[in-house]
Amino acid sequence: MQTFGQFIRARRESLRKTDPTYSVRQVAKRMGIQPSYLSKVERGEVSPPSEETTRKLAHELGVDSDMLLAMAGKVSSDLQDVIRKRPVLFGELIRELKEMPDHAVLRLVREVRDGEW
Amino acid sequence: MIELKHDELSFSFPEVHPDAKLSLNLQRTLRIPDDGNDYPLPPGLGAFPLRHVDDFASRLPELWKKHGGVMLPMYQSEALWVNLNGRYPFAVKVATGKINALTGESWADGLHRDPQDYMVTPDQPWLDGYCVEKGTIRQFVAMPLGGGYTVEEQITGEAEHGGLQIVVYPMKAQAYRELYVREGETVFSVALDMDSMALSAPAQSAPDMGLAPGGRMKQEIFDDPHDFDVWDTRASARCFVHITNSLAWRAVTGEEPPTTPLTSREYQEAGLPWFDYYGGDREALEGAKKLADLKTVKETGEEKGEQPLPENEPVEDPVVITLGGEGEGRPVREGRF
Repeated sequence: MQTFGQFIRARRESLRKTDPTYSVRQVAKRMGIQPSYLSKVERGEVSPPSEETTRKLAHELGVDSDMLLAMAGKVSSDLQDVIRKRPVLFGELIRELKEMPDHAVLRLVREVRDGEW
Repeated sequence: MIELKHDELSFSFPEVHPDAKLSLNLQRTLRIPDDGNDYPLPPGLGAFPLRHVDDFASRLPELWKKHGGVMLPMYQSEALWVNLNGRYPFAVKVATGKINALTGESWADGLHRDPQDYMVTPDQPWLDGYCVEKGTIRQFVAMPLGGGYTVEEQITGEAEHGGLQIVVYPMKAQAYRELYVREGETVFSVALDMDSMALSAPAQSAPDMGLAPGGRMKQEIFDDPHDFDVWDTRASARCFVHITNSLAWRAVTGEEPPTTPLTSREYQEAGLPWFDYYGGDREALEGAKKLADLKTVKETGEEKGEQPLPENEPVEDPVVITLGGEGEGRPVREGRF
């Protein structure tokens, strides 16, 4: 299984093949972090970054922020808040869903409803 | 399908292509002066909160329930811009009060090439207002529906719909593979997030808001560089974005609305930059005469003997940073000021 750093590097290098602005230097610049720090993250020499920086990285690399946070061993703070508000309900719900196949879980994803206009 | 994630509308078409995803948020921003001068791009001040209409259905008008979609809070005379993010090409049509923001025509299903009634992403990273002339828009400014200020009321004579309507059409997968994957087009990535700022709130009136034409801004709406048949018109997703005033937002959702943004003058006095966008050799659309002929918020206010824009002094010599050319997005300053 790919580590967090390996995944980041693979994704960035993949984007860089068609867009040179995905160099370490330019990605770091857009995110407002030091290129050397991003490089260390990619090499696994430092722990995965904070939630805020991981979110920026997910946005920059066009990947889902919840997935990237999970790879970094974190749970998004907004999800933590959701669970804290109704811990029993959401605890039960998540346990119920854990063995469910993806397509069944996806049926629960909420779409924005379009009406008549 | 459309999902609401972290105040962003997330459009996805897995049946067309796994990459066919577009996210859209509505950015809070400075209202530029409505004084006849052309202004550069103001910054993004963070996304407006978006909520499902269905979550608050019992406290909302019947018509909103019928429309479905989402809602957001705005103060009277506050401005917004539409922020588009995604690598996959989409045709995006935006209307206010069911009047197309590029052509001034009434809402019609489908896409139209002449005059072009849609924008093309990722080339077009944002839309700040109504396309009134080639290279010039008039800023989207929120006004109470029924006051006679909105584009909808000026064109149709009715205050019926309000809000903002958005529909997106993905590029056909085959065209995407041929045009983008093989040739490796430049992509845009716009990272936007900013804390709100504490300022006093202007007066409130009716709960239902629409958008009206404000000050002039330099912004090109690019001509569709593709053949018209690249768009998959069988696959589309649309969303009605209702706009409620901030007091009603608090009553309906129980949440505090964002505080009002800085005025243009306060922003300027803080020495902060404005932006220009370099679109390369892309062709820009001509503006719509129908939209150019409309009265601005200031002009309507003068006719009615009202002063809807409390802060409308010109901004002199703004510091302008040019964006674009290397896939550079429209930055948002971080932190408070």
